[in-house]
Amino acid sequence: MKIGLEIHVQLPTRSKLFCSCATSAEEPNSSICPTCLGFPGSRPALNRRALEMGVQIAQYLNCQITPTIWFSRKTYFYPDLPKNFQITQYDSPLGTDGHFHSRGKRIGIWRVHLEEDPGRIKRVGKSGEEVSLIDYNRSGIPLVEIVTAPDMSSPDEARTFITEILVELRHIIGTTASDEQTVRVDANISVGEERVEVKNIQGMRHLERALKFEASRQAKMLEAGVKVVRETRRYDEERKVTLSAREKETEEDYGYIGEPDLGTFDLLKVASVLTTSETPLRMAQRLAGHYVVDFDKAKQIVITSMAMAELFERLAEKVDPELAMTWTLGPISSHWGSIEPRLTEKVIGDVVRVVSQVADREITDSEGRRRISAIAAGECPEDISCAVEDTLLDSLISQYLDEHPNVVKDYASNPKASNAVIGHVMKASKGKYNSQEIVEAVRKEIEKRL
Amino acid sequence: MSCLPTADKLRDLNERYLAFSEISPSLEEAQGYPPPFHFSAKDNLCAKGFQARAGSRILEGYRPPFDATPVAKLRAAGGVLLGKTNMDEFGFGTFCTNSGYGIPRNPFDLERACGGSSGGAAAAACMLDGHIALGVSTGGSISCPASFCGVFGLTPTYGRISRYGLIDYGNSLDKVGLLVRRSEDLRRFLPIISGADPKDPTSCAQPPLRLERKSIRTVAVPKQALQNLSPEVEEGFEHALGRLEEQGVEIMQVDMPSLRFALSAYYVLATSEASTNLARYCGMRFGVRGGSISQHYNDFFTEVRSEHFGREAKRRILLGTYARMVGYRDRYYMKALSVRQLVISEYQNVFGRSDLVLTPTMPFVAPRFSEIEKMRPLEAYQADFLTVPPNLAGLPHLSLPCGYADALPMGMQFVAPHWEEGRLLDMAESWSKGFQFRFPEVCR
Amino acid sequence: MDVDTVRNVARIARLRLSPEEERQFAQDLEEVLAYMAVLDEAPSGGEHDFNPVPVHDVLREDVEARDVDADGLRDSMDIYQDLVRGPRLS
Repeated sequence: MKIGLEIHVQLPTRSKLFCSCATSAEEPNSSICPTCLGFPGSRPALNRRALEMGVQIAQYLNCQITPTIWFSRKTYFYPDLPKNFQITQYDSPLGTDGHFHSRGKRIGIWRVHLEEDPGRIKRVGKSGEEVSLIDYNRSGIPLVEIVTAPDMSSPDEARTFITEILVELRHIIGTTASDEQTVRVDANISVGEERVEVKNIQGMRHLERALKFEASRQAKMLEAGVKVVRETRRYDEERKVTLSAREKETEEDYGYIGEPDLGTFDLLKVASVLTTSETPLRMAQRLAGHYVVDFDKAKQIVITSMAMAELFERLAEKVDPELAMTWTLGPISSHWGSIEPRLTEKVIGDVVRVVSQVADREITDSEGRRRISAIAAGECPEDISCAVEDTLLDSLISQYLDEHPNVVKDYASNPKASNAVIGHVMKASKGKYNSQEIVEAVRKEIEKRL
Repeated sequence: MSCLPTADKLRDLNERYLAFSEISPSLEEAQGYPPPFHFSAKDNLCAKGFQARAGSRILEGYRPPFDATPVAKLRAAGGVLLGKTNMDEFGFGTFCTNSGYGIPRNPFDLERACGGSSGGAAAAACMLDGHIALGVSTGGSISCPASFCGVFGLTPTYGRISRYGLIDYGNSLDKVGLLVRRSEDLRRFLPIISGADPKDPTSCAQPPLRLERKSIRTVAVPKQALQNLSPEVEEGFEHALGRLEEQGVEIMQVDMPSLRFALSAYYVLATSEASTNLARYCGMRFGVRGGSISQHYNDFFTEVRSEHFGREAKRRILLGTYARMVGYRDRYYMKALSVRQLVISEYQNVFGRSDLVLTPTMPFVAPRFSEIEKMRPLEAYQADFLTVPPNLAGLPHLSLPCGYADALPMGMQFVAPHWEEGRLLDMAESWSKGFQFRFPEVCR
Repeated sequence: MDVDTVRNVARIARLRLSPEEERQFAQDLEEVLAYMAVLDEAPSGGEHDFNPVPVHDVLREDVEARDVDADGLRDSMDIYQDLVRGPRLS
């Protein structure tokens, strides 16, 4: 089985691709203007941020960036298309010949380009006689289209691929959950020789079902010795089946011409100032490889939070990575809601120290958990006061007691034996701590050693 | 300052000459406070308070809620918009006989055409002293009517003037320009309507407008421009060349072989772009409403379009659709793009040796309506062979009245390098010195 | 340019022509295309300049703005319950 996908994702810009209308609106047909309605006399102007986002995506997917790009008109007639042509990129995509690794499999990326969305049709009336009612709020919304090679071999692989791409896009350009709901996929699927296109699958929910249905449909036909017709189909969400797309009967000749109103764009210049920090999946791949941990677990962490992944890495640098993984996915994760907002360098240090102490068997597992809870609650875990200097106090006391073990023995019969320790620490710490603190800490440490 | 014509006078004139498709309803009010100037806008330029029908029945009722930028600029400068001028449907025509709303008649002779497609604009500029008429040129639609109506027609460089609010014919070819009686009005109004406009990205590539005065020393006349001319134009042009030489201008003859491809390349590009621009006219959202929504959308669209587009519009849509279809696209559309670059290079080459290029504007004086009716479509297209080359190349050009044959005006057309409108204004002014402009009786 | 081609091109352009129109346009376009055959003699190159003057890198900042009131735009369309009415889809 071969599956190739054309994925359309909305770019999270403030304004539309070719006009300054807001990309979100409350009422239908409220975020509209002459340009996105195609009124005579209107004119497009390209959104800089949309272009940059498109380039970042192409770069991330390891594409060859096209040095000079332009836009084209794709002409066809449909009620949701205000100009009856779509401004898209026909023969100059942002990038070509890229790839993406999903579950260890290399998926080829043929091209990445920008285009505008048409309006949204709500069909009304009984089937076979549907009048159209249209909301043009979506007309002109910026979309990136990612076209893959037919390198996926199952509906499951296709679903995983898209899920993973979306995780990455969240990080690269800031797509949100609602952008992900509006993802639209055209899938090319061939079980045997003939390729069938299933167009306009809306949202992740329907994708796997649509592909599974179509794969099964083709398989059944082949089994029965019936030839699969090469055609375009659409997915019916209610009946959960793919249907032949009767609406676009004959092949449209889109008659592409260049779009003179926009001019050309130097992408190498745009690309040179764009940087993207390490994306979640790339980080998961790196962590799994470098620290020899399970990729799925690493992926779980990065998807929960990049900050958690960074914390995991700090832990893995100090303790056995497996232990770091257990503690990250365990106590840290369960308290993550409280820890994340408090996450400072100091708190990170505290967490790392707790887990290190567990690793060194200085404290027990359950004590470690308790201390993580304390950190999450914003308290100071026992034996660690809330200043980094505290290690000095501890180490001064410990060191003296290590060198003078008889103090502990003497203390059993005479508490005043601690005075020697107290005096020493006071002198050595040069007034950093008040006497109360020192007395307390000395007493605790001695009693611990008893 | 020129007098504002009264509403009555304007309506009387318009009944005879049909220059205007719509006249301002508030002219009477404006009488009380005479404006610094009055202007008109070709009906493909949007203006609030007026319909914008671009000479087409399919746009009946379209009231744009915005001003085209050049209109807004003239309004901001204090001008009063007298009305919208008649034009060939969407700009498709050489004689302004393809209008859905009124075919303007030449102020010099009622039986003759004004030229197109800015025919109404030229008639208005001719008839009303001091009037500033905004026109639009795609393949010569400012030059041609300027020539037939005996006025100045300035077509600036492509991209000099914002096209925001201009109803498209060909996006890489359309230019807004001026038709006026007096050369000083060109110098006065060109800076007002020029300038980068973020709403039209193609207007944002321009260098500043430089209008310092310099005298024109050499002018090149391509030999390709001296063929297929009527005897009147041939004679008139020769006479005009003589006058130029007397004024101290050197005339040199040049050979521009790429010009023979220009007309074809122009019609391919213009109709290709137009056939996509006109796809939006389908009976939904603006203009004429379609029939019944219980029709399938393809039938709904087809019916409205077939009923409301004129014949020439249909012809150009067919030609333009064909030229970009799979299998023909390389031979026509792609080739035409190459030819445009070829023509531009050839002009640049000639400008290395001369300040301006000069040809007659049209191969004949204003034809009679009866003669136009007999023309085959190809014949009408071929009449543009002199105006098309600078339009294809996006070069600024000026048609000015250079003579009269049997009281009918004829024009000659100067072409300057990209962005060098200043040279054209200089030529307009030096030519005007001592030239006996003639205007018809109606204009007094 | 025969009548069948004209009919096909008209269909793509959503134009319905009478048989008389089909014949007439076929003839008109035949003449025009015959003239345009001169393009075959011209050299190729420069096919990706879509404008006669360079128009490069003109970008609009990603800010929301509204110039024209949406109400005015809605007034010109056939609106039913905030949606634009259009023809049948199938």
